[in-house]
Amino acid sequence: MEGPSAPARRRSDRAWSAPLLAIAAVGASALLFDLTLPLRLPGNGDWAEAAAALRVRAGPADAVQLWPPWAERARLFVRSLPVRTEEDLRAADYPGVERLWLLALPRVPLAHLARARAALRERGATPGDEVHFGALSLQPWELHGPRVLSFLTSPLEEHEVDYVPRQCTLLRIGRPADPGRLQARGEGGILHVRAGIVGERAYQGFRGPVRVDVQVDGAPLATLTVPPTAPPEPGWRRLDAAAPAGEHAFTFLVSARDLDRPFCLSAWTAAP
Amino acid sequence: MNRRLPLALAAVTFAALFATQSGVGFVRDEGYYFEAAKSYEQWVALLLRAPAAALRDTGRYWSVNFEHPGLAKLLFALSHLVFTTWLGWLPDALAWRLPAFAFGALLTYWLAVLGAQRSRAAAVLAPALFWCAERTFFHGHLACFDVPICALTAGVGVAWARAIGILQTPTSNPTSNPTWTSSRHGLFLGFLFGCALGVKHNAWLLPPVLLVHALLLPAPLRRRALRTLPWLLLGPVVLLAGWPLLWHEPLRHLSEWISFHTHHVHYAWYYLGRELRGPPFPIFYPLVLLALVLPLPQVALFAAAGAKLLWDFAHRALSPVRLLELGLAGAALLPFMLRTTPIFGGIKHWLAFLALLAPEAAHLLERSAELAQRAGLPRSRGLLVAAAAALLPGLWQIAHVHPYGTSAYGELAFGIPGAASLGMQRQYWSNNVTAVLPWLNAHAPKGARVFFHEVNVESYRAYQQAGLLRADIQYASGPWDAQYAALQWHREFRDREPETWNAFGTRTPATGLYLDETPQVVVYARPGLPGAP
Repeated sequence: MEGPSAPARRRSDRAWSAPLLAIAAVGASALLFDLTLPLRLPGNGDWAEAAAALRVRAGPADAVQLWPPWAERARLFVRSLPVRTEEDLRAADYPGVERLWLLALPRVPLAHLARARAALRERGATPGDEVHFGALSLQPWELHGPRVLSFLTSPLEEHEVDYVPRQCTLLRIGRPADPGRLQARGEGGILHVRAGIVGERAYQGFRGPVRVDVQVDGAPLATLTVPPTAPPEPGWRRLDAAAPAGEHAFTFLVSARDLDRPFCLSAWTAAP
Repeated sequence: MNRRLPLALAAVTFAALFATQSGVGFVRDEGYYFEAAKSYEQWVALLLRAPAAALRDTGRYWSVNFEHPGLAKLLFALSHLVFTTWLGWLPDALAWRLPAFAFGALLTYWLAVLGAQRSRAAAVLAPALFWCAERTFFHGHLACFDVPICALTAGVGVAWARAIGILQTPTSNPTSNPTWTSSRHGLFLGFLFGCALGVKHNAWLLPPVLLVHALLLPAPLRRRALRTLPWLLLGPVVLLAGWPLLWHEPLRHLSEWISFHTHHVHYAWYYLGRELRGPPFPIFYPLVLLALVLPLPQVALFAAAGAKLLWDFAHRALSPVRLLELGLAGAALLPFMLRTTPIFGGIKHWLAFLALLAPEAAHLLERSAELAQRAGLPRSRGLLVAAAAALLPGLWQIAHVHPYGTSAYGELAFGIPGAASLGMQRQYWSNNVTAVLPWLNAHAPKGARVFFHEVNVESYRAYQQAGLLRADIQYASGPWDAQYAALQWHREFRDREPETWNAFGTRTPATGLYLDETPQVVVYARPGLPGAP
């Protein structure tokens, strides 16, 4: 017959198996994660369905934003509209884009899709109905951005600045006495200039800044300075300035002491 | 202790590495080492034909890859000479890699020897814990120096432990002459240390570790250990013998060797959302990286092993062998916590840290099964549960990710997609390109120019030599010069993809390697070419 201390002894005996149970739990949870990960990821069929939906529903002023931004397998499938991989959805420029399709992998670990949506809301965008294609979600967002009056640089050319592909034009950097020059005609309004140094040379701190002087019909309007990138400061620098209404000749003069850096500039005017 | 079990485990390791090598791409460094091995093989051939000329012309053949000692590359060369040039049994790359598999097997052997100091189960589990992770398993395949120096670190540790009498020799014979036995152990220690010096400069850290170990031992052992230390002076002699570059103008070559490493460049390295380009690096970088790339059970067990060793050290409860393991593991890791040592290359530089913790980790695993016995679980069943829990996630990782080892991430990082979101280095060394070579072979027209991005020209040639890439496919220097581009996704090379879009006039890839959705290698084709979307 068991004494009164027997249950306590049994409990104490069972406690000896705690280390093994802990190891088993760690192993089992790791394996569970590994084996279920594929279920969180889209298959080719999901991508194809999402791409087909975009082909049918997207308009000429639409673009796709991938989330997480690394989910670029989408490029294999989505061919009917521009694909963007911006990392900061609140600050990103989407010039000329009226509706942004957020194509996301919501079940992928650390996707933080809610953060992406919050960032879009913070910039004043409003969501439409979300649809799912297996492990993919697709949601249109009206950006309510200002109407673009003129693109002063080509939106078709892209270069990387701050590790994000940017729609910008590569410009020669000249010496202050002989600056690189870009000229374009366009409607006045709010002039938006974005510029940065392409590639790893952006991070060479020993170099001097690049100066962009903006002229309208030959008269100075504003200056943008692009220093070497020192994270967390951005390398993609912004200038917003009011330009007089009507059609004008815009000139961008790019100069620096160090010339051997690829430099990229994007400019457009938008309605106030 | 019986030698049969470590030998059997070593044989299994060799066979496993041999059987799984075919898909492992030629990493950037291997390209350089293959070229060096070719040059050294020519020298060996000359040595056999005209010894005087070979002794005179060492500089001509051995200047290739002067920045690393010659022993490992000499072994790659000898293996190629025997198994490919003379016997014709093996393809080139496999012959060069064969010595690397042997080093992998040696590492298993020495880990099993150290594990066997605890128990037979620990002898099996110690190497298993080290190898059951894609990162370590991947490195075992490469004709590089990381696993060899890791193996020799463990080997020097075992040889030292035997020489000072804290580790039993399997064949020790009580009737043998103790002076001769001691000399034999000392000679072997000096020889192994020399081999380590001849493989990689990390080995210069070993004498200080052994000195400190000697000083921390109890008095009688300390005296014996201090008397054993001078055997290490054999090391530089072995280094000199195994590196003919030093036979002429040794001071100049030594100075160039040292200068290369004291002025080593820092490559950009993506870590928790920021690009590390130069010192000061995060102090816990190596530990965080280990935690993120290894399977979770190994992370837990190695952390527990390190903590247990430190705890017992603080409480003066470490046996001499465990003290040695702690010292060697610490010495492998600490230089990378100085904040100034170059940290690129993932965990490969401090693999010995893991290796030397593995016996203790194995012991803890076995101990959990022993403790569970008191709760009524048979020991064998407990061991089986423990081993399965510890090793299955790692085996899954290997099955899932191999041969793309530099891309592997563990459960703490939430796998490869989680690591991408965390902002970790996606891959390095360009070996993942093997995934798209069959596609290029099938689609690229004759003589097509391909931009291989991070794949250096040496590795490109090695792929052609190995038959993995068609011989007519040409190496282009950039997208502007290419018809196809195989881009390896690196944060620091993001400019290459838009550059390719602009050059090719398309933003749609033709194919690619995507691991758990993350882009690794993305192939673009100029519109109108075969395979173009």
